[in-house]
Amino acid sequence: MTDAKKGLSRRTLLKTGAAATGVSLFNINHVWSQDVIYDGGVFDADGAVLNIAGWGGYWEETQNKLVLDQFQKDFNCQVRYDSTFPWFPKYVAAGPENPPFAMNNWNMPEMFKTAGAGDYFMDVSEVRANVPNTSELWDFSMQTGIGITWAFSRYCYVFRTDVGITPKSFKDFWLPDYSGKRGTYITSNTLQMMFFMAACDQFGSGETDFEAGYKAMKDAMPMKISDFTGNMATLVERGEVNIAVQSDAEALLQKEKGVPVDLYYWDEYKGILTQTQTISKYADPMSKKLSFALLNRMLAPEFQSGFADTFWMRPTNKNAVLPEKMTALGVANTADATEGLHIPNWSAYLVDEIDIVETTNEIFGS
Amino acid sequence: MTDLTGGSPTPRQRPSWLSPNLWWLVIPAILFILLFFLIPVLSLFASSFDKAMPGQITFQGNFSWNNYERIFSRSLYYTAIWRSVWLGATVAGVCLVIGYPLAFIIARTFRAGTATLLTILVLSSMQLDMVIRLYGLMVLMGDKGLINTGLIALGITSEPLPLMYNEVGVIVGLVQVTLPFMVLSLIGSIRSINPALEEAARSLGSSRWHVMRTITWPLSLPGIYAGTLLVFALAISSYVVPALMGGWKVITLPIHIYQQIAEVGRWQFGAAVATLLFLTSLFAMALYVVALRRNAGGRV
Amino acid sequence: MDDINPIPFTFRIIAVVALMVLLVPVLIVVLAGLNSGEYLTFPPEGFSLRWIENFFTSPTFLPAFKLSFGLALATTIISTILGTLASIFLTRSTSKAREILRGLFFLPVVLPGVVLGLALYVFFIWSDVGLARSLAGLIIGHVLVTMPFVIATVTASLVDFDLSVEEAARSLGATPFQAFWKVTLPLITPGISAGSIFAFIVSFGQFELTLFLSTPDLQTLPLAIYSSLRYAFEPTAAAAGIFAICLVTVSTLISTRLSNLKKLLSRR
Repeated sequence: MTDAKKGLSRRTLLKTGAAATGVSLFNINHVWSQDVIYDGGVFDADGAVLNIAGWGGYWEETQNKLVLDQFQKDFNCQVRYDSTFPWFPKYVAAGPENPPFAMNNWNMPEMFKTAGAGDYFMDVSEVRANVPNTSELWDFSMQTGIGITWAFSRYCYVFRTDVGITPKSFKDFWLPDYSGKRGTYITSNTLQMMFFMAACDQFGSGETDFEAGYKAMKDAMPMKISDFTGNMATLVERGEVNIAVQSDAEALLQKEKGVPVDLYYWDEYKGILTQTQTISKYADPMSKKLSFALLNRMLAPEFQSGFADTFWMRPTNKNAVLPEKMTALGVANTADATEGLHIPNWSAYLVDEIDIVETTNEIFGS
Repeated sequence: MTDLTGGSPTPRQRPSWLSPNLWWLVIPAILFILLFFLIPVLSLFASSFDKAMPGQITFQGNFSWNNYERIFSRSLYYTAIWRSVWLGATVAGVCLVIGYPLAFIIARTFRAGTATLLTILVLSSMQLDMVIRLYGLMVLMGDKGLINTGLIALGITSEPLPLMYNEVGVIVGLVQVTLPFMVLSLIGSIRSINPALEEAARSLGSSRWHVMRTITWPLSLPGIYAGTLLVFALAISSYVVPALMGGWKVITLPIHIYQQIAEVGRWQFGAAVATLLFLTSLFAMALYVVALRRNAGGRV
Repeated sequence: MDDINPIPFTFRIIAVVALMVLLVPVLIVVLAGLNSGEYLTFPPEGFSLRWIENFFTSPTFLPAFKLSFGLALATTIISTILGTLASIFLTRSTSKAREILRGLFFLPVVLPGVVLGLALYVFFIWSDVGLARSLAGLIIGHVLVTMPFVIATVTASLVDFDLSVEEAARSLGATPFQAFWKVTLPLITPGISAGSIFAFIVSFGQFELTLFLSTPDLQTLPLAIYSSLRYAFEPTAAAAGIFAICLVTVSTLISTRLSNLKKLLSRR
């Protein structure tokens, strides 16, 4: 344990050191907390490296194509992209002053968990001051206070149209006809967290009425439990699952590919699956400045429209134009369409997360 | 091993020149394990006695038994211990039974081509990414998989058999993944048995099975020992297979560990489960080795 | 052999079962990778090489394949050397510590990759010498989990090695090194090559450990496949598998040719 102790004391020293200078010297001497200002223009980063994290695979390829390749040329920098989820342990292993990534794309629960573990992320007000395109966003996209939501999708059930049942309400998932053919996810998947809270809300007194949620999960057994959306898509495609919790982006994609499925949107509880970017508070100044610039590009209407075209995800920029294939299916980017969208109370969920995970595992495993 | 050819069970005499300067051979490996395995892992075990604090990874020094108390107060965890051991032992047994004949054929066939072909088949099954191979198994064993579709079409059953999303699925998945390790461990030691021994016994009138039982099998014990231990260890520590094939009905210790560390962020509690898995598995293997030694009369 | 000690019929039957368990899932994936449809579906909708082509032009899969290959190669070399040396000690030393060491070397396999990966990651950050998220750190992790395989296989082949052959060489005037190099090494080569093939394959397919140790801009093949499968069961992932199978087939053929050749030469 000698190493652990050494690491701890060094880290503690750093922390107190940073705090002390922060107070007495107005951030002047410390690289981590230096103020950086960005005005939206292009600058030469002189080959600097920007560490960012986001989803891998096709997602990463799309990011490269739509924004990162050009960004690296324009700003003369090198973007290092880490797609090895989970990122939360990497942050806590390194500590707030030594963030592994300057910028990170999250689903909300993990982001809040990281934020709860230490002073990792820059406040949204500072981001807003330095990223001009934030002025064009819908309000809900800055609601978290620690990150900027740049894309989202709505929750729905994806159901097979060839089994003769059409769900008409959130509770139709529990129809006896669907027994053994229902699909949801493991507890670490945001879709399951959201489904659980929606069930708490619909069957109980509100989204944090966890007892009602447990009962609903019990009543829905037997279910097929999947760990990620791609796997669920195959289960639905092969007909092993007839109704599944899904994000509309994934479900629309599947529908477009010709699988006999349709969507039921949860109108009773309009939770959204968000993609949110954080900027690390103690990243070095150049990384911060590059992060502002990159985020500014990701909030631009052109990028968001392009992204919607590939991933069927909705933009958060008011001026982004949706691709025709989405508007044809009734998706719109208007004040009305974003009316009533709901970001759940993740802090309340996280307080009880351990119990929720254990109890849900017991239900799934029974 | 020389006792069989030499006739007397005296321990092998080692020439004096071999022993004194042997240590330098093993020192690099010891240093490597010490630095990159023992120190990190012992720090991990130490942190399991620390108070569980979500998101806290550094050592705080608040000694407590809380993590272990919690493990033994929820059936979710302590049943997983037994389940993991049971799965590991079953998989090792199944792999030995179905792997031994294949290894024997590869080791003993006279046609070099057959041996090479079979070896390549075994190796190529390992070379395909594990997650994707499990996808292949799902296509085979799911409710609408090839096996169930076939059985229903033949009228043998009307409802799909539950082949997946349960322990059967996990066992088949683990056998699929670990069988090559068993076969490859066995080949070497079967090949090093001098066939002349078997031929001599046969010419003296022993039956084929008798030769197999009294000569071939005991002489391949080093391989059996290595293979079963490897398979057991791989099976008990696997995360991906129970996660994909068990449909969250078969929650094993590695799944709990992954959830606690990567999902809930309770490093210390995850460390406690990991410590327990480690100790359980060591204990099971030690029991096995002792039992095997007794049976093998010190040959292994 | 077929006349003197034929392989029992029951053995043949069970071996076929074993081969089916190993190969049917692989066959399904191979067929799905040669599928002309959009999804990784089975039965395939038609034959096409488009996903194989896709693999070769993909900006993720091909670099990932190359990285995994290089990583596995470096890992194999290091762990074969360390492991073989340790195995010689384990089989020849009379020291009491030998049993303890044997157990110690096996331990990294027992711990789930996720735990070992995170323990190493935390250790790399504490030690602060630049191993965290570096290629060197990744190789260290892979050597840890592959060395037990090398040691297990090489030890198994050395246990049965008849020391008297080496002693004979010594008594004929060879130095210990010469005796080992000229006599023992060729005889235990099958064990060593089996061990290194093990190491290569384990490293190449390593997923759980790599999750925490991977470097920021480099992605190994299992990670690339896993992250692409998170979104859709894309046939390119299966195509990458087909390519890997071809590669291992060719390399096994070459290596058995080589070792046969060596055997022929050394017997003369």
